[in-house]
Amino acid sequence: MTLLLLLGLPLAGAALSTRLSGAAARAAHGLTAGGTLAAAAAVVAAVMRDGSVTALDGLLRADALSAWMVGLVGLVATLAAIEAPRQVPRTEARRFYPLLHLFTFTMLLALTTDDVGLMWVAIEGTTLASVFLVNFERSRSSLEASYKYLLICSVGVALAFVGTILVYFADVQQFGDELYALRWTTLLRLAPGLPARVIELAFVFLLVGYGTKAGLAPMHTWLPDAHSEAPAPVSALMSGVLLSVGLYAVLRFKAVVDLAAGPGFASRLLVALGLASLGVAAAFLWAPRNFKRMLAYSSVEHVGVVCLGLGFGGPLGVAGAVLHIANHGLAKSVLFLLSGRIRAAYGSAEIPAVSGLLAAMPLTGRGFLVAMLALAGLPPFGLFVSEVMIFAAGFQDGHVAASVLGLALLVVAFAGLLRATHRMLYGPAPVGTRETAHWPSTLALAAALLLLIVTGLAWPPGLAAALEQIASLLAP
Amino acid sequence: MTAITNLLSFLGLVVTLLIVWRQSWPGRLRLFIAQSLLLALLALVIGVLVGKAGLLVVAGMVVLLKAWLIPRALARIAAGTPVRSVAPGHSAAVPVLVAGALVVVAYVVMLPVNAATTLPTAGGIPLAFAMALIGLFVCVSGRDALGHLLGFLMFENGIFGLALLATYGLPGLVEAGVFLDVLAIVLLMEGVLLRVRREHDSIEVDRLEELRG
Repeated sequence: MTLLLLLGLPLAGAALSTRLSGAAARAAHGLTAGGTLAAAAAVVAAVMRDGSVTALDGLLRADALSAWMVGLVGLVATLAAIEAPRQVPRTEARRFYPLLHLFTFTMLLALTTDDVGLMWVAIEGTTLASVFLVNFERSRSSLEASYKYLLICSVGVALAFVGTILVYFADVQQFGDELYALRWTTLLRLAPGLPARVIELAFVFLLVGYGTKAGLAPMHTWLPDAHSEAPAPVSALMSGVLLSVGLYAVLRFKAVVDLAAGPGFASRLLVALGLASLGVAAAFLWAPRNFKRMLAYSSVEHVGVVCLGLGFGGPLGVAGAVLHIANHGLAKSVLFLLSGRIRAAYGSAEIPAVSGLLAAMPLTGRGFLVAMLALAGLPPFGLFVSEVMIFAAGFQDGHVAASVLGLALLVVAFAGLLRATHRMLYGPAPVGTRETAHWPSTLALAAALLLLIVTGLAWPPGLAAALEQIASLLAP
Repeated sequence: MTAITNLLSFLGLVVTLLIVWRQSWPGRLRLFIAQSLLLALLALVIGVLVGKAGLLVVAGMVVLLKAWLIPRALARIAAGTPVRSVAPGHSAAVPVLVAGALVVVAYVVMLPVNAATTLPTAGGIPLAFAMALIGLFVCVSGRDALGHLLGFLMFENGIFGLALLATYGLPGLVEAGVFLDVLAIVLLMEGVLLRVRREHDSIEVDRLEELRG
């Protein structure tokens, strides 16, 4: 029931807001966003109590991993929803809110279905729902970005479909149970008996396909364009959670391939792609020119870190990776939302065009500084802890060379990010650039940053248990 | 059954190679329709021979979408572009050679799949996968948006053929989702490309170069 509510609310909100305008549209937007957050919280609570919840004869199912991701989507979608009215002109509401809530719906569906076929449909749906959001500002460059986004992600996700077909093929060949053959729970139960070579082949397609959606190098080429051209609330959702939805799909299949073919196969591929992503991101982040593109490339970097964690494996690596997904999602969405304000105030997203941010926009500037320090992986923020967990797992399990290389690339990216931030924060402030935001509108962002300190300094009761439960689901 | 599914898969591959060879747009589009109709026939034959009524519906959907609605959308997108060959000044020999090599690649990649099955349709699996790979090749080597889109659709057709031959189609819910997705992609692409044409007076992708670095 809670699952149906979780999916029904954003869908109903999307349908409703196609017909509304003005104050009514805003009210519907607020109600939908609030309701979705409440439903997400209810799903998390139910899973914490019962271990998992199901609906529609098991077609929908949320376990600890789903609940973790649903909670994250709920939080980031709320941040984006609070900021949206600042960024979206009233007259354009009808073009924005329906797609925004539809986009949230497709992500939540991908996370809460047990059927990997339906998950594929939902992940393809995330692209379709967000194409015109990327092109919302109707500029030449955003048009080009949305074209690349639609084409590359559709091709990528079609490759993942080849993988899904091969998994279904292996399953039906071996067991003949067609009705539930694409359910993840069935796949996991039958995995040890599936033909290893076919499942390995399928995983390659799935990793490349969903990896495209997750922004893994070398399939990341669409990402900096789409993430930097989209309006800030959409960028926040895309960088903060959409990438993780792609990773989530990889995660589900990794559990299956580990059981069918042994853990080494998926691990090697993930470590290689993770290092490639870190390398591509570090090369760009050394000297970025545009701060929205900088944030987008930093997402490629962090997706790479998560992949390393999954590749290193073990309970520590998987728990670190899952925690890192949440930490990065919060930090990056705050940064993208603030970058929307900066771009509006300075009239440009180029780094040289922005100076004296701290003096001109004290609230936004300080928030940007704190979130940037968190993103760079400094203590006391959560990203520091999850990165330590991931690399500790790497050294523990004998991936010494990969860990050292990964850390070196992280340092390069770190230096580039801080240098660019420094350039934006200090220096002479241009005349006439003023803070337009007040405290109340920034409270939600501050709360997200506070949450990052919580995951960095003092884990609340239940967090360790939740991470342990997720790790045992994926690395039994 | 083996004979007829093998024959249809083989014909599908021949049509795919012809698309690579053919240099005029209307010609390519007609061949794409032929490819889609062959797949519909494949779905029909498998549906009748194994007794899966669902596949008959799927065959009908393929005819409706891929042989009618989508080609019409493609024709609308192409309507404003001048008639000229796909790659002026280039011979079709190299792409056809690449496509031929991809058929070999497809056989090698699908070895584990063919080793794991005794299905009567197994012979067609590498052929369908070759269709998909060649579609992917047409997509990434396309010089304008129509080439990208046509390549993507050929890729999709190949994957559909693979699903038919390897698993006799997917569960109804997934199949329906896939059809919706393909239609939505083409319609969204039409929307995007019409805007691109307004902005750039062309849908040649070489002109899309605002975003670098």
